[in-house]
Amino acid sequence: MSSSDVLEQLRAARPVAPSALRERVRAITASERPVRPSPFARLRSRRIALVAAPAFAIVLVATAGVIGLARSGESSRDTALNATALQEAAPPQADAQKAFPVAPGSARSGVPAPNPGRLERYEANLRVRVDDADELADATQRAIDRAKALGGFVVSLNSVVPEAGKGSAELVVRVPRERVQQAIGDFSELGTVVAQEVHIEDLQQQVDAMTDRIAVLTAEIARIERQLKNPNLALETRSRLSARLAADRRELRELRANRAATTREGELATVSLSLTTEQRAEAVPAPGRVDRALDRAGDVLAWEAAAVLLVLVAVGPVLVVAILAWLGLRLARRRADERLLERA
Amino acid sequence: MGRLRRRNGVQTMTLTAGSAAAPAPTFAAVAEQHLDDVYGYLLYLTRDRTLAEDLAGETFEKALRLWRRFDPRRGVARPWLLSIARTTALDWFRAEERRRRRERAAAVPDVTEAAMPEGLSPELERALLSLSAGEREVIALRVLLDLDGDETARLLGISPTAVSTRLSRALQKLEEKVRTHELV
Repeated sequence: MSSSDVLEQLRAARPVAPSALRERVRAITASERPVRPSPFARLRSRRIALVAAPAFAIVLVATAGVIGLARSGESSRDTALNATALQEAAPPQADAQKAFPVAPGSARSGVPAPNPGRLERYEANLRVRVDDADELADATQRAIDRAKALGGFVVSLNSVVPEAGKGSAELVVRVPRERVQQAIGDFSELGTVVAQEVHIEDLQQQVDAMTDRIAVLTAEIARIERQLKNPNLALETRSRLSARLAADRRELRELRANRAATTREGELATVSLSLTTEQRAEAVPAPGRVDRALDRAGDVLAWEAAAVLLVLVAVGPVLVVAILAWLGLRLARRRADERLLERA
Repeated sequence: MGRLRRRNGVQTMTLTAGSAAAPAPTFAAVAEQHLDDVYGYLLYLTRDRTLAEDLAGETFEKALRLWRRFDPRRGVARPWLLSIARTTALDWFRAEERRRRRERAAAVPDVTEAAMPEGLSPELERALLSLSAGEREVIALRVLLDLDGDETARLLGISPTAVSTRLSRALQKLEEKVRTHELV
């Protein structure tokens, strides 16, 4: 029997299900109920993955967009930094006017006036830009001259010219407090003011307290001195009063010295002047709402990507092991089935 | 539709996505259509007509329960039914092996009552009976039921090349057995 004969005979003798089996199967199928197509019937894992993956990505992007849009009104850290840069680069009037209501115009008008009726510690920091090293030297000299002309003096001067055409000078001058506005105005005219800061601290209360204490001590010293003039005073009492008198006199001296120092402090204002040839930093334009929204959305997307990556890193190895285990089990089962069929 | 092109006959065409306009087939129609195939496959696998009938009945009971999840647009009913039949048969083989172990029965199966389809020559029937179930299975699927290599590979969980190799060896062995029986 040839090979083709074998195949032909096999096909010709194709088994036919006996009528009993046919009836049995018909009985089974008779219990079939009409199938209502379920909306989830077509949801196979591949199809779900095909839909879920892009849907997940869309949700992530949409979330980032919504959050970015919602938070675009808030001032971010970067915005704050830019604002600081702008503030530094801008003329000082803006902030000074906020803190001290003065009329716009010259730099002098932007400086708060000292209170003539009270002692104050008045400190001003001024940063002025000049064009080049020649102007720097000239401005430095003019600042010193102006301080002296106003009845003040230079506390310190530090001038640095690291390379040709560039440099900086740091001056600390003290001028009578009532002339500090004039001094700051004059210093402002040495170049372009890029930053200005003023600190005022009231000293009057402190001086008044010292004056009161001095009065008390003076009265007490006078009383003790009167007591010590009594010749009938006991030795022990005399000794105690003498010690008390010495302590009071010592405290009185210190108080008078402190009050004098504080009064001098309040009479003179300190102005720190920084002259520099550094070019004005380019003002960073404040980002618009759309830019801020995009920035925020970008940040959120980055966070989402990091979170997804973290999950993948954490779950990935477990998933790989699970898949490998599943594949191994399936392979083992198939081989067992094959061996079983070989034996059967 | 790639599978459709490789298939022949009207049966497949009526059950596939290509006939989108046609109404979805009922399970009764599918069962009626493929009953002979399932029975034949199980008969080749088990060499026992009664057992093949029982397993075929069990196969269709399972298939009816799973019918709701079967999507004709994604696959053809016949391989789907054959895969259920195969699982059913394997379960039976496993249970039978366990039973034999428990009873300490002989490892060699009792083939005195084994039977193959009618119409075969005695030599061919004996040759078929002497083949292993795995060999008879691949002959049934490729020769008797005319499944193509890819369908058979998917059903058996092996590669199409392995299917070809297995079929070639099974047929070669079958011819040798037939010749041996003819000589005897």
